[in-house]
Amino acid sequence: MSDQTNNYDVLVVGGGIAGEETALNLANIGYKVIMVEKDLSLGGKMIHLSKVFPTLDCSACITTPKVSETARHPNIHIFTNSEVGEIEKISENNFNAVLTEKPRYVTEECTGCQLCEDACPVSVDDQFQYELVGRKAIYIPFSIANPRIAAIDIENCILCGLCEKVCPGDYIDFRQVEKKTPINVKSVVMATGYELFDPTIITRYGFGKFKNVVTAMQMERQLVPTRPYNSVLRPKDGKMPDNIAYVLCTGSRDDTVGNPICSQVCCMYSTKQAQLLMGALPMADVTIYYIHIRAFGKGFCEFYNQTQGMGVEFIKGKIGKIDEVDDGDLILRYEDIESGKVKEAKHDLVVLATGILANKDYQSMFKNIELEADPFNYVKQTNDLSSPARTSIGGVFVAGTASGPMDIPDSILSAGAASAETASYLRRANNEK
Amino acid sequence: MEDITTKKEAKILVFSTEKISDPAIDLAGLLKMHYPPKVYTINIPCSSAVKPRWVLHAFEKGFDGVFIAADGTDCSYSEDCSEKTSELVGLIHKKMEEKGIELARLKMAAVCSVCAEPFVKHMISFNTYLSNIKSN
Amino acid sequence: MKNKIGVYICQCGSNISDYVDVEKVKEIVSSEDIVFLSKTTMFACADSTQKEIAADIAEQNLDGLVVASCSPKLHLDTFRNVAIRADLNPYNYVQVNIREQCSWAHSDKPKDATEKAIKLVLAGIHRVKHSVALEKLKISSENTVVVVGAGIAGMRSAIELADMGSQVYLIEREHFVGGRTSQWNELFTTGESGRDVVSSLYKQIKSHSDITLFTGAEVVSKGGSVGNFNIEVKITPRYIKPQCELDMDKFEKVLEICPIEVEDEFNFGLTKRKAIYKNYPSEFPEIPAIDDKNCNRCGKCLELCPDIDFGQKVETLNLKAGAILITTGFDPYEPKEGEFGYKTVDSVITLQQMKRLIELNDKELIYNGKKINKVGFIYCVGSRQPDGDNKYCSRYCCTSAIYTGTVVREKYKNIQNFHFNRGIRTYGKQELLYHDASENGDVFLQFYNDSTPAITSNGTGPKVTIEDFLTKGKEIEVNLDLLVLVTGMVPRKERNIADILKIPIGRDKFYNEIHPKLRPVETVIDGVHIAGACQSPKNITESVKSALSAAAKANSLISKGEIELEPTLAVIDKSLCKSAGECIKICPYDAITTVEYDGKTVSEVNKSSCKGCGMCIPVCPENAIQLIGYTDIEIESMIEALI
Repeated sequence: MSDQTNNYDVLVVGGGIAGEETALNLANIGYKVIMVEKDLSLGGKMIHLSKVFPTLDCSACITTPKVSETARHPNIHIFTNSEVGEIEKISENNFNAVLTEKPRYVTEECTGCQLCEDACPVSVDDQFQYELVGRKAIYIPFSIANPRIAAIDIENCILCGLCEKVCPGDYIDFRQVEKKTPINVKSVVMATGYELFDPTIITRYGFGKFKNVVTAMQMERQLVPTRPYNSVLRPKDGKMPDNIAYVLCTGSRDDTVGNPICSQVCCMYSTKQAQLLMGALPMADVTIYYIHIRAFGKGFCEFYNQTQGMGVEFIKGKIGKIDEVDDGDLILRYEDIESGKVKEAKHDLVVLATGILANKDYQSMFKNIELEADPFNYVKQTNDLSSPARTSIGGVFVAGTASGPMDIPDSILSAGAASAETASYLRRANNEK
Repeated sequence: MEDITTKKEAKILVFSTEKISDPAIDLAGLLKMHYPPKVYTINIPCSSAVKPRWVLHAFEKGFDGVFIAADGTDCSYSEDCSEKTSELVGLIHKKMEEKGIELARLKMAAVCSVCAEPFVKHMISFNTYLSNIKSN
Repeated sequence: MKNKIGVYICQCGSNISDYVDVEKVKEIVSSEDIVFLSKTTMFACADSTQKEIAADIAEQNLDGLVVASCSPKLHLDTFRNVAIRADLNPYNYVQVNIREQCSWAHSDKPKDATEKAIKLVLAGIHRVKHSVALEKLKISSENTVVVVGAGIAGMRSAIELADMGSQVYLIEREHFVGGRTSQWNELFTTGESGRDVVSSLYKQIKSHSDITLFTGAEVVSKGGSVGNFNIEVKITPRYIKPQCELDMDKFEKVLEICPIEVEDEFNFGLTKRKAIYKNYPSEFPEIPAIDDKNCNRCGKCLELCPDIDFGQKVETLNLKAGAILITTGFDPYEPKEGEFGYKTVDSVITLQQMKRLIELNDKELIYNGKKINKVGFIYCVGSRQPDGDNKYCSRYCCTSAIYTGTVVREKYKNIQNFHFNRGIRTYGKQELLYHDASENGDVFLQFYNDSTPAITSNGTGPKVTIEDFLTKGKEIEVNLDLLVLVTGMVPRKERNIADILKIPIGRDKFYNEIHPKLRPVETVIDGVHIAGACQSPKNITESVKSALSAAAKANSLISKGEIELEPTLAVIDKSLCKSAGECIKICPYDAITTVEYDGKTVSEVNKSSCKGCGMCIPVCPENAIQLIGYTDIEIESMIEALI
């Protein structure tokens, strides 16, 4: 690469929905954007979701066109399976950084034919199906991935070379090495997204120990069209569940796990999943144990009312403990807030509505300057009211859940704000020259 | 059972408008509000753009009813779109009369961009009306 | 006519294929002789499918494309672009809606849904058979935006638009800027006062050469369309000369002498104001205004102040703009008389009045001459109504009410707050505010949706009787000094602008966007954007985010100086035209004129003024007019396919 191609107007860190929206807005105005995504493909967490509230549009129908528009835009240069670090502010409109491209051991010519996947003898848990099923050591992340190119998970690869033999195009390349490239940009947008709370920390819920206790993300994967089992099943015995419980605020509004804030999305995604379950398993009962239902956005309250009307039961109660009985069913001990009594209920599948936590990756990306965090480790918004995308560093902006929990419509608006503020920053600096 | 009801069902052609009434018909689907399945929609920019010959063509080819889902006062092209569409309906009625087609087989009503429920009601009642005259 | 059409039938995950037998649809449509290939696909819009379609078009030399999937409102452009990439003219593509108008609408009758889908796809195929290749129209565009409403969303987007290089006309109906934000004192989360935030934005606006602010201004008509709107604005004068340098002492004297007293809307009727006024001393613009509606022209103020000028006239301005942004905000819900004791029990006020009351009471909280210690808040007044029209949650009020309680508790001594709620919705980081309020002694009592609190007077103040959820419906009585009704947001009562611009209104009566995720700040009226609380309830941060989003969208639409428009135009066949003139009469855009042709006078469509509405096509007695994209042969062959 020549020096000139390493200069960009904007560095967008993260290729999820917020990063894409930001990059597209800026690229459409005419700015040259570099997007760096640490995963093998674009689309962030949203591309893995089933249908999204409150319109019940399929998530893929919203994200994939944005993903392909981003991938195809002449002003956007994308690096997947890559990281950015050592971001250094030289002056206004002048940041240096280092781009690290990790090897995928498969060249960009790969056609995604998946012959290598069939040949590979190694099976490991599939992180994109949230460990519900396995995948191979050489794999295409998921069916609608962009780019749709295989990659080798070198940690698990046994270097047997079978993939090389079956590849019709000689696209496997074990000689690839990590590549570091210095880049210069005029501004930075952090769209690094969130992490999901790990419920194994709450041992009394038995996640990881009781197989029929799953996370909402695992349930989400069972509800998508590209789902692994083509039906909703309980993991322990493959039986179709008929009495499902949702435990809201798992890892949210909970000081004991260090996350006192509300995750803003779990009430609504659980309500949505309950609606989808009523469709997928018409005979099943669904009970949602909640503290408060936060159905606050446009059309949300109406959606919640509709869900109640469909027969989903909402119980105001905090779950104390979950126990397994012989047949894999689960006993939930909960404080029924209405009666003030401790009660027990039996369900055959429990879904933990796990909350959202800050993705702290950004904290190690900067070299001579600190990007300040808020008390919950999200990127701090320094002018929350009138410039919501502004951070502690001039020229560095924040979009989407990098600054706090939010739902998809809010993330998209936040990305819109970040693109506007970045565009004016770039133009102001240009005019001052 | 299903076959009997289907046979009686009238075939209805709806002229919807891209910005106003078609979004309402989409919304009806989004909300899973059901209406008779033999309702077919062709969308056009504005309800004052329905050519009489199209309506006559539909009747000639076998449609039982034609429904113009009009822009009403929400029309972004013209203030008096409602009146214009009504005048148009008058014009089409004249031509229907000449051909001996019952005038009530052409219906028009304003359907705003979120009027999913009114649309569904119109379809149900229009279908009932048409299937009655059909079976008689 | 085409004979190598490619047809793709989308399963939309399972949204379509759960109800429509897509394989059967494929099988039947593939037997049409003009269909060259047909396929089903899980997601037509996925990048891999897009690539596959493009490759098929190029390799098989397809001359027409049909995708049967969701509503064209979502993905028409997606597949048009696929066609473009494969060198197929995008107008030889037709999207057939078999989701919203088929699988979802008839999910109760899968067999019928499949039959309907077949017909719809066939109609699409026959439409594309007769479609013609077209090029988009290019028109020049003004890089100017008219922003309507100078509250926080309007002011903030005006600054951003100007920073991004657009000219901005900011139109405010009131004589002062700041909207609702200027009425709030301390703001969550930063503790800034609303007026400080507004002052700082005002100063940026005044120093920006690309922003022109009009106050006392109202949009009265709109002409033209995206790229070239003509906006007519009526400006009511302040009746004070612009060169007035405000002398506060003198202004105080003028206020004293003015004999007119009216209810002060800024303070929600808690106080009175004069006909000459400023809502607060540091309000912007600096010059006071005379309220034309109430002033009786007694002239007393003239004696004190030479800058007062009753000779000022109402002016009308014509502005040209490429895009419009509507940020007209909300009204607080006004409770009905007797609703939770409003206006029937003493010391019952709204949340908005409470905020003004705090502002007006410096040391002690006094209402109606009485010192206040026990304050109650009743939540969801005018929101989440089980029986009323407002089914929606007003989103900002839980946080706003708790914050107001917190400010009261911290500002005055010996305050006890009671929050009568229906489940607190302090989402996200706002949770901490709720947590802290509970820790600091605020009492939260939750009532049932179907058993709302009863408000009576106990002689000295309001008494609230509720069935408390947390104690299993036990009836609790609380005596208060002041009861605050936590009133939510409703759409503005005065919304002439919606009629003028034809802004679509949603089920909740707020302005409606095209799609909450795909196009959240755009409306179906090209070039008209919406932001802030006029779209749905939002707090300040959320309003600003949407305002900035809208600024980015509007700027990228018009900043290139050129906009591409759909080539839908009326075309007159001059050889058929007998100059009846009906088309000229009906055209709302004066786009049809007469020309000489072959020795006779005929009508002709002016391409740059025609908007493609098609109103002229049914009225022509000679059937000489066709609307491109909706020609007789296209529509009639669709009708034949549908039967």
